[in-house]
Amino acid sequence: MKRYSDMEFLRLSKWQKFLYKLVSFLVGIPLGIGRFFKKIGIAVKNGVLRVVSELKDIGVTFVHGDWKTKVSYVVMGFGNIARGQVLRGLLFLLFEAVFIFYMVTTGGYWLSKLGTLGTQGPESVYDPIYDTNTTVYHDNSFKILLYGVLTIFFIVAFIYTWWVNVRQNKLAEQIIKSGKKLKSGKDDLKSLVDDQFHKTLLALPMVGILVFTVLPIVFMVLVAFTNYDGSHNGYSNALFTWVGLKNFSTLFSWSSAGSTQSMSATFGEILVWTLMWAFFATFTNYFLGMGVAMAINKKGIRLKKMWRTILVMTVAIPQFISLLYVSKMFAADGLINQMLLSLGWIKQALPFWTDPTWARITVIIINIWIGIPYLMLITTGILMNIPADLYESAKIDGANAWQQFHKITLPYMLFITGPYLLTSFTGNMNNFNVIYLLTGGGPTNAAASGAAGTVGHTDLLITWLFKITTGSDSQYYLAAVVGIMVFVVVAIISLVVYNVLPSIKNEEDYQ
Amino acid sequence: MKNEKRHMGLKATNRLSNTAIYILLVVISVVWLLPFVFILLQSFRVESTWQVGYVIPQQWGFDNYIRLWNSDFKRWYLNTLIIALFSAVLVTVIQLCMSYTLSRFRFKMRGPLMRFMLILGMFPGMLTMIILYRVLADLGLTQANAVPGLILVGVASSGMGYYVSKGFFDTIPKSLDEAARVDGATRFQVLYKIILPLAKPIVIYTILTAFMGPWGDFVFARYVAMGTSAGYNVAVGMYSWLTNDQINSWYTTFCAGGVMVALPVTILFLCLQKYYVEGVTGGAVKG
Amino acid sequence: MKVRKFTALLLVLVMVLALCACGSGTEQSSEPSTQPTQQGSSSGTEQSGGDNEQSGGDSEQQGDTGSELAGTYDITVWVPEAAVELTKTQIGNFNSSNEYGITINATVEPVSEADAANNMITDVAAGGDIFFFAQDQLSRMIQAGAVGKLGQGAAQTVSANNDAGTVMAATAGGDIYAYPLTSDNGYFMYYDKSVITDESHLGSMEALIADCEAAGKLFSFQLDDNAWYLASFFFGAGCHNEWTYAEDGTTIEKIDDDFNSPNGIIACKGLKKLLSSPAYNNSSDVSAFANGSAIVVSGTWGYKDALDILGDNLGAAELPSFEVDGQSYHLGSYSGCKLLGVKPQEDAKTGAALNQLALYLTGKDCQMERFQETTWGPSNLEAQADPSVSTPALVAYAAQSAYAVPQPVIPGGWWEFAQVIAIDVKNAADETGYQAALDKYQQSLDALMG
Repeated sequence: MKRYSDMEFLRLSKWQKFLYKLVSFLVGIPLGIGRFFKKIGIAVKNGVLRVVSELKDIGVTFVHGDWKTKVSYVVMGFGNIARGQVLRGLLFLLFEAVFIFYMVTTGGYWLSKLGTLGTQGPESVYDPIYDTNTTVYHDNSFKILLYGVLTIFFIVAFIYTWWVNVRQNKLAEQIIKSGKKLKSGKDDLKSLVDDQFHKTLLALPMVGILVFTVLPIVFMVLVAFTNYDGSHNGYSNALFTWVGLKNFSTLFSWSSAGSTQSMSATFGEILVWTLMWAFFATFTNYFLGMGVAMAINKKGIRLKKMWRTILVMTVAIPQFISLLYVSKMFAADGLINQMLLSLGWIKQALPFWTDPTWARITVIIINIWIGIPYLMLITTGILMNIPADLYESAKIDGANAWQQFHKITLPYMLFITGPYLLTSFTGNMNNFNVIYLLTGGGPTNAAASGAAGTVGHTDLLITWLFKITTGSDSQYYLAAVVGIMVFVVVAIISLVVYNVLPSIKNEEDYQ
Repeated sequence: MKNEKRHMGLKATNRLSNTAIYILLVVISVVWLLPFVFILLQSFRVESTWQVGYVIPQQWGFDNYIRLWNSDFKRWYLNTLIIALFSAVLVTVIQLCMSYTLSRFRFKMRGPLMRFMLILGMFPGMLTMIILYRVLADLGLTQANAVPGLILVGVASSGMGYYVSKGFFDTIPKSLDEAARVDGATRFQVLYKIILPLAKPIVIYTILTAFMGPWGDFVFARYVAMGTSAGYNVAVGMYSWLTNDQINSWYTTFCAGGVMVALPVTILFLCLQKYYVEGVTGGAVKG
Repeated sequence: MKVRKFTALLLVLVMVLALCACGSGTEQSSEPSTQPTQQGSSSGTEQSGGDNEQSGGDSEQQGDTGSELAGTYDITVWVPEAAVELTKTQIGNFNSSNEYGITINATVEPVSEADAANNMITDVAAGGDIFFFAQDQLSRMIQAGAVGKLGQGAAQTVSANNDAGTVMAATAGGDIYAYPLTSDNGYFMYYDKSVITDESHLGSMEALIADCEAAGKLFSFQLDDNAWYLASFFFGAGCHNEWTYAEDGTTIEKIDDDFNSPNGIIACKGLKKLLSSPAYNNSSDVSAFANGSAIVVSGTWGYKDALDILGDNLGAAELPSFEVDGQSYHLGSYSGCKLLGVKPQEDAKTGAALNQLALYLTGKDCQMERFQETTWGPSNLEAQADPSVSTPALVAYAAQSAYAVPQPVIPGGWWEFAQVIAIDVKNAADETGYQAALDKYQQSLDALMG
């Protein structure tokens, strides 16, 4: 396509401008993806080079280092202690001791089993004396995988620490050679609340994220390569084991028996609805919320606080209470249908939850009911921040209310809330509560349901995932594959949007 | 004369549009409040069964609240309150540490770290529940010990939600920090003496959201409590009244429970609304 | 620069501590045949671990089990809310009356039948030692290892004392896996006498639909998303659905099913009549009576609530017949039961003691007490014969039972794909559509055989 310079662009008509923007956006997607992979490639290459040079460095340090340094290669922290940095040295030493102790007592066991995930499952044994069947448990695939991964984390941490230990020796030698003083333990502690303060602040949150977010995600990704499901739960019935890429090919090629379409078609169908839902849920809330905020903010409207309070009250009530009630209100024999019937406005109950299209529209509308208060709160503040003189000058130029909104309010809002829109879009893609509590995914999508389980017309990927894990076969491995696919979709969307939105790229501009 | 007339016309259209807005606001308020009013009314309904064809109870009374008091609800309420209070404190500390650091410090790992967490956040959380459950079970923090378990998981993974407060810190001018640093304050002193007082809205916002979360958590909490009433939070406990064979006899009690849950959260929310708005507008928009 | 490592160290140290905590907890399970499943549970299980060692020694020396069972057992019992207090009393009675000197120290938790099954499947180790569940979950329970085969003595007692249908419900692959608890888990019809004024209409689905439509009332029958109710039409049209399992209780050896047959088409035609009526409402909850339903197909559990709403206007009857091509077919149903499950124990002595408790809790006296407290219909033959065991709901259940099929052990997947037939029939225009629906069903069925 032809690229226009700024001047040329300005000369285009409105329609041409729009077309140009659209085309350059679409063209940008593959380019952006290409750039992304190129970046990854460069990062990998740099990483490898870095590791090679560090390895070299470790060797060089060993050859040129003094005896204290050499001992430190085996006894971590020895160099620090010998050079007077006792606190640091002891911590290194303690870490090494704990590591060795752990590996010898339990770590080795988990690691050795990781390749097979256990060999002997539980068995049922008949005891003739008591005339009863007992279960004897042996290996536990779940624990082997879990602690195996943890042990690998630990080994990586150890190698890193060992490397740090080596480098410290090297640096200490250099510092002593140049005649300066090494930092004492007291200095170390002091810098932790000053120039190294960020490490103190981040230590605890990062440990939490590592164990309770990273570990489960790594585990989940690994499960996608096993046959972990209800009939192989890893300890109380049968062990699970590695199956390679089989589950991925299942999702893409297998046509689920009894359903008229393949699994990948089902996945595609749910994905399309998930994106539709996320789009409508995000933008209906956004614009209507903004509308309500503008209405309340309008000059001359009284009791502003009261209106806001009424809406905000609904935020405070847990969704599982309000949504369950509302869900039943819309049922065929629910309050709304009964009321309309008794008023004589309708002859037959409206199919809010039984007709696919009705159900989809109804969940979007009810979601507006939930979402507007949040959006009202968020936009109220921003609206008030728009400089008033912008509007004044617009008024003088004779702009009407719509033009003011279109030319001033909307661009300003979109610019400021761009990032919010993105997170809210991905958040809505994973909006479990609303769908689960309102429809449970229903009404049943007969074409997509089959031996692999039931799928509903309002099921999002996330609720489908939930159904897979809690369904009759508890196919965790399939859920893991779907989970990874959800990740890929969200990641692609985010990447594209991030490369388009100006307000995220230039983080520093804001401060 | 002419000018004045035009002015009058403007005023009239203004009045007209204001009337329209008032009507709109009244309609919105009714639609938004009605379900809650219904739930409130149900909680005073004496006659049982969950679906009745009317809204105004035929027989009024406090029976449901009395029944609530005699059930395990007290225990669940206390559990939830404990979780909510601990979360409010610990989550706030963690999130503020995280967001302040990422907003103010420029260190080598900052970019990669933020990107890493962004990527982590893109994985659907649903699946990790079963794994977290197992980890907690191995630590002995499930069933009767579900309360510390839920606090641990909630707090440990809360670092991921630093976006809003980081956005807020970004809006506080950096020159303040630098001036204080020039005066010889340590980083810690800068945070404690200068930034925190300015960050009051976001602190309160974080406390409020962290406090509210546990009241509605039922999917994961149900896993962790695993059929042990002593470890239920209100959501799990009340949810157990909604099974097919329970719902008819417990539904009105469920509504009463809902009112009891909504009460403290609503009051707190209304009192702190101002800070919530400031926090959310300062922070959320800047992700 | 250097002090960064300091924090790295700190971080790693915290991890070390975490690992040590896990490590010390898991060490046990790395040695075979100790109790990995009992870690992290309450002090109660530790004690039974102690018993374990004791009995291990004893059982080698002695053959007589009777007095050997004496001891205290800490267990968890999961029962539905309605039976919690009663169960506590019954366990107390067991403690004072049993001849073996068994003392059960039970924590009774209110856990609904559905939750009990789901929880047991999620984590057997943390599950209750004794739990109540609905029979349709049995195959999943066996698969998960949440129930084990009964001993020979127990199996004999169970099959001698309970009605044949419930024994079959607890049997898979020739072995009994659970203890029948009730025999009333089927459905029939509740109706509003003020709407269905002509009793002769009760026998005809078409007449009932016409009555409902004329009165602007609803006919509630949960067909859209529940294969348990849906099967009614197929059994009515003369179809059958039987399962044979291998010895392990989970591998399916043979499925004998003819839903996909001319009879199945007849069922679909009958189904369509109800589904396409404006009076049709997808619900099995008797509270629908308060919302414009004149008929609700439900079970004994709804009796009390239905009575609250309708009072004297409540009627209960067997299901009606539907008419296809001039011929009449009486709607069938499943008759099922609730079961009591015992989690497989790791030491035989505890297992044997729990077996005694389970037999007691499902015995005649306890079932009678349960009937009086909760109106659950007993499965015990003696209790069934007792004249006091009768409510209008049980009478209707008994009347329907002539057309009912005892519910066998059915794999969980079946419930999910069989329910889809209803939606397909709803969307189908004619017989070709019905045939397509049944073909899909057949494919899913074949997939179960792998």
